[in-house]
Amino acid sequence: MVLHSQPVGRLLDGAPRYLFFTGKGGVGKTSIASAAALALSESGRRTLLVSTDPASNLDEVLGLELAREARAVPGADHLFALNINPEAAAAAYREKVVGPMRGMLPEAALREMEEQLSGACTMEIAAFDEFTAFLGGAGAGDYDHIVFDTAPTGHTLRLMALSQAWTTFFNENTSGNSCLGPLAGLEKQRSLYAEAVEVLKEPEKTRVVLVSRAQRAALREARRTWKELGDLGIANQSLALNGWFEPAHADDPVSRHWLERQSRAIDEESDFLRSLPLYRAPLLPSNLIGMDVLRAFFRYPESAMETAVPVNTAEASAPALPGLDELADRLAPAGRGVILTMGKGGVGKTTVAAALGLALAERGANVRLSTTDPAAHLADAFGDTHGGMDIERIDPKAETRAYVAEVLAQQPADMDPDSRALLEEDLRSPCTEEIAVFRAFARTVAKGEDGFVVLDTAPTGHTLLLLDATQSYHRELGRQSRTTKHSEAIEKLLPRLRDPGFTRVLLVTLPEATPVHEAAALQADLRRAEIEPYAWIINQSMAEVDTREPVLAARGRAEVPYIREVVDSHAAGPVYSIPWSTVDPVGRDGLASLLRAEV
Amino acid sequence: MKSIQIYDPAMCCSTGVCGPDIDPVLPAVAGMLHQLAGHGVHVERYNLAQQPVAFARNPKVRAVLETGGTAALPMIFIDGELELQGRYPEQPERAAWMKRAREANTAGVAE
Repeated sequence: MVLHSQPVGRLLDGAPRYLFFTGKGGVGKTSIASAAALALSESGRRTLLVSTDPASNLDEVLGLELAREARAVPGADHLFALNINPEAAAAAYREKVVGPMRGMLPEAALREMEEQLSGACTMEIAAFDEFTAFLGGAGAGDYDHIVFDTAPTGHTLRLMALSQAWTTFFNENTSGNSCLGPLAGLEKQRSLYAEAVEVLKEPEKTRVVLVSRAQRAALREARRTWKELGDLGIANQSLALNGWFEPAHADDPVSRHWLERQSRAIDEESDFLRSLPLYRAPLLPSNLIGMDVLRAFFRYPESAMETAVPVNTAEASAPALPGLDELADRLAPAGRGVILTMGKGGVGKTTVAAALGLALAERGANVRLSTTDPAAHLADAFGDTHGGMDIERIDPKAETRAYVAEVLAQQPADMDPDSRALLEEDLRSPCTEEIAVFRAFARTVAKGEDGFVVLDTAPTGHTLLLLDATQSYHRELGRQSRTTKHSEAIEKLLPRLRDPGFTRVLLVTLPEATPVHEAAALQADLRRAEIEPYAWIINQSMAEVDTREPVLAARGRAEVPYIREVVDSHAAGPVYSIPWSTVDPVGRDGLASLLRAEV
Repeated sequence: MKSIQIYDPAMCCSTGVCGPDIDPVLPAVAGMLHQLAGHGVHVERYNLAQQPVAFARNPKVRAVLETGGTAALPMIFIDGELELQGRYPEQPERAAWMKRAREANTAGVAE
């Protein structure tokens, strides 16, 4: 199709007060949001950049340590930035409830309160509470523009959908016996939530910019977000296509494949791409880090921008690393256990899990491939072939329905209507989905006793929430065992995840600054939970690929320091590498192409 | 029966659906309270995670917590007297309470 798009600099024409940038992890939404905020501030508008992403790398992009309070960004007039850290927000909320009780209640009671307020629900609620303050409340202050670098799509959607669910809940809840436990302290602010929802819907106040790459999975994700936000009544949406590639050497095989893949992705989504204003930003030789580079991004025409962004001229070569087939050789003899691919959204966890599962199945192992990724990329990665594996999806919506049905079925048949109504009300709470998914995760991990279970986990923040939930549920088991019985799968979950002979965590990263640093942070978090990663996997490495295309070759060279950083500073165990492949990682043959170290 | 007060342990919600497994007694108790209220009984319910102030303000609750710890939760008071601690009422107890409430209600009407 012919793409009617404008340069990314035009994105800010007629910008409303609130701008949201959202998209699949790794598409560059942090970079674009930062560049947009900087451009707005340089037109003399007082601008606040708000990060609500648990895996934000704004610190790195701006060269500023972000805090909960707005800070002036050095080197820019009128630009301020802050970070809403969901964990810190939850801690502050917890202290607001527990603090006044110190000295008034026994220590054991205080501990119990703190435990209960440490769950996933509290974190979401506390983060959402802070988030709304900027949309209708005092946080908006006298800023002309507020730019949100939102969390990965699923999280963003939940934040936004929750505000509606809660507003509905507050309006309809007549039992007076609210199940929204941690919300109790927030209920007085319900008018603020309602206001926030209205602000999001008003096109003259809010614009949502979907950030994507011209890649299949990223565009599908963008389309889903566009549809879901549209259904929520958010009409003012645009799409920024980042990393738009125009080859200098169309005959180079790597250029050709890159371009083909881009064209195919665009064609597949042509209906969607015709439905909203499009902006494009060119593929650059390195990432946008630092103020000068950010400035160039919105200000210069595309051709000038490519020269404005420094090309990495280091002539180092990447260390030789083994491929996925060698990893499969090492893992196969055990014949059982759980393999988790973890990392930031967009690094290819699903693809790596599918390729490794295939390799293990080819070595005669019994393999179950399972995904908790809310976006369910697994079916995409696999096409129609199952490659001798059992394939299973943990679908949050379906899990929730099943859980609700199971709970209702457990109730006595003669349960009185009032009790049933109350229970059903509680089952509408936002916590229910978290619990349902958690149970499915525990169940899947338990299956690793009989064969291999390969799980691609959800994006980083969600993954950590799951693990955190695991731990707090374990604490809860100790308390509640006198009254309830629990399935073996849940009780054994954390011990299983901590057993290095049973669970192998593979940290997946791209050889770029942000993904590597985020994977390192994820490793630190896992270690806090007493889980030690087994290996690192560097995915889509251009450094190992031979190309004459200047921008791609430059990107390859720019990867070398990050590959070295993984090997030298982060990985305690082995490091494996998957070169950028000219074959799409879809279906049996596509996935098999990732296993062997040939291009 | 004029009033009932329940001091719950720290719970996400009163029916207990937010735990990894459900205790079937919790929805039953919640339903009973709803019915008691329908018979004119004054019902108060406090959750340690949500309304800690109610625990701190009640000297009886504080005293039991000091000695028995949180294992003494839930505590259930009927007309100001501690009726049950450390567990929720079983079906026969719930039926007996409902009967008391109905009788009190009928007596009130007769007067």
